[in-house]
Amino acid sequence: MKYKIVTNNPLVKKEKENIYFVEGSYEDVLIKVRDLVYKGVELISHPLGASMRMLYSPYRSIIVGEKNKVVDPFHIEIIENSIINYRKNLEGRKVDWIHADDYALIDNELLKSTLKDLEVK
Amino acid sequence: MKLELRRIHIKDIQLGEETKVKDGVLFVNAEELISHLKEDSRIKDVKVDIARPGEKVRIIPVKDVIEPRVKIEGAGNGFPGVSSKMAQVGEGKVNVLYGAAVVTVGDIVGFQEGVIDMWGEGAKWTPFSKTFNLVVDITPVEGLDPHAHEATVRLAGLKAAEFVGEAGRDVEPDEVLTYEMGSHAEESRKYPDLPKVVYVEMLISQGLLHDGYVYGVNTQNILPTLLHPNEELDGAVISGNCVAACDKITTYQHQNNSVILDLYEQHGKTINFLGVILTPELTTLEGKFRTCDYTAKLCKMLGADGVIVSEEGYGNPDSDLLMICKRLEDAGIKTVLITDECSGWDGASQPLADTAKEAVAVVSTGNVSHVVTLPPADKVIGNAEAISTLAGGWDGSLQEDGSIKCELNAVIGSTSEIGYHNLTVKLY
Repeated sequence: MKYKIVTNNPLVKKEKENIYFVEGSYEDVLIKVRDLVYKGVELISHPLGASMRMLYSPYRSIIVGEKNKVVDPFHIEIIENSIINYRKNLEGRKVDWIHADDYALIDNELLKSTLKDLEVK
Repeated sequence: MKLELRRIHIKDIQLGEETKVKDGVLFVNAEELISHLKEDSRIKDVKVDIARPGEKVRIIPVKDVIEPRVKIEGAGNGFPGVSSKMAQVGEGKVNVLYGAAVVTVGDIVGFQEGVIDMWGEGAKWTPFSKTFNLVVDITPVEGLDPHAHEATVRLAGLKAAEFVGEAGRDVEPDEVLTYEMGSHAEESRKYPDLPKVVYVEMLISQGLLHDGYVYGVNTQNILPTLLHPNEELDGAVISGNCVAACDKITTYQHQNNSVILDLYEQHGKTINFLGVILTPELTTLEGKFRTCDYTAKLCKMLGADGVIVSEEGYGNPDSDLLMICKRLEDAGIKTVLITDECSGWDGASQPLADTAKEAVAVVSTGNVSHVVTLPPADKVIGNAEAISTLAGGWDGSLQEDGSIKCELNAVIGSTSEIGYHNLTVKLY
């Protein structure tokens, strides 16, 4: 399967080649993914994590696929909802920079798990 | 399958020369326990401590909570496929040290929360302030990769619970709970007029600190699978440690899954309970489609009239929850969802990361963003530095008197999406 990783995680940048590297925040990664999805790029992994704590991560990696001729409305709904939720949850909270290295590590490990799931295809 | 959970009521834990239960007091020989755990060469150091209800003690960062038990009749003991040999569990007799819990602590990564306060305000929010906790703090050898570190801590907790549980082997129980259910054909003959109900239990299955296991198989690698409810009550399902403290299902909560127990209670009275489908929550959209389609298909094949779905976590799993709901409702199967809410400090925001018009029956298990104030503890078990993680959420979260303002999402089991906890949210 052809895919690219949209990421701002320096650890992923070091280890992976097929990436769109975003010089910016978690939110900037979401916005980059949103822009790609509106151009017809397929969303492969869900933009949000599975726990509240990972929302405070400075880093995020999201997998996208090939560009299609038609924009998928379901993918638009998912990425737009994700941005709304990200902003909502960060309203009163700070990004947890103190543990940035650990977040980079976990984000990278969760990414590896997702890629393993894609490998079999 | 017939399973007896034979509860021995534990009224205190003390360290002693022999690991035994006497007059409702659990004595633990800490040295023996430590040397048993240190048989794993990946463990450098183990500290054992006790936290009792009412003591001004804070435990942080909690990784898992496990109920100590011993199987005295029937196949398997402990957690087959993980800490003991593979066996078909769900049948036989289990002696349960009811009221006691093994709590594992230890940093795997620095940002983990997971607090249990044994007294005061904090105690209100976690069910594990009511248990007598044997806290096992595990330090691994240096240089372990994070996956090996996680596995080491996970196994040590399970082994500690087995070791301590052994103390109940020859003790007469204070109460015996029996869980018995035959084949679908048998139960449907017995209760032809009762609606058939399936329980779908979703599990975070996404990688390091975001995993669950069934018979030792990482649920990332399973298709949705059907379990007899007794299997989960008998140790087939375990937690893969946690990041999401409030709604990660601990092993203890699997062993005492409230949804299963409540459905059992109604079995033969108002419903015909058909069993449990474990459904992984994956990260890819294709994976989510696969598991949600498959889950709905299993429910249809079983002839379910109604399905109860519980979620684990918050964020991308909300999509799975609602996709399952949509598929079931479209198939004419009445569906009830159990989930927590992430509805902001004031409780007014949209509670889930996703919505669906088919979700018409939803049970809320609490608002993870609800802010609570935890006063300073006399004693901290675990890593006191982790408290700064708790306190560092926003400006002013650390008060002048040392109190910490934090969100419920930092408190273990506070918004359990299988209902093993203390709170809910009501519309008004």
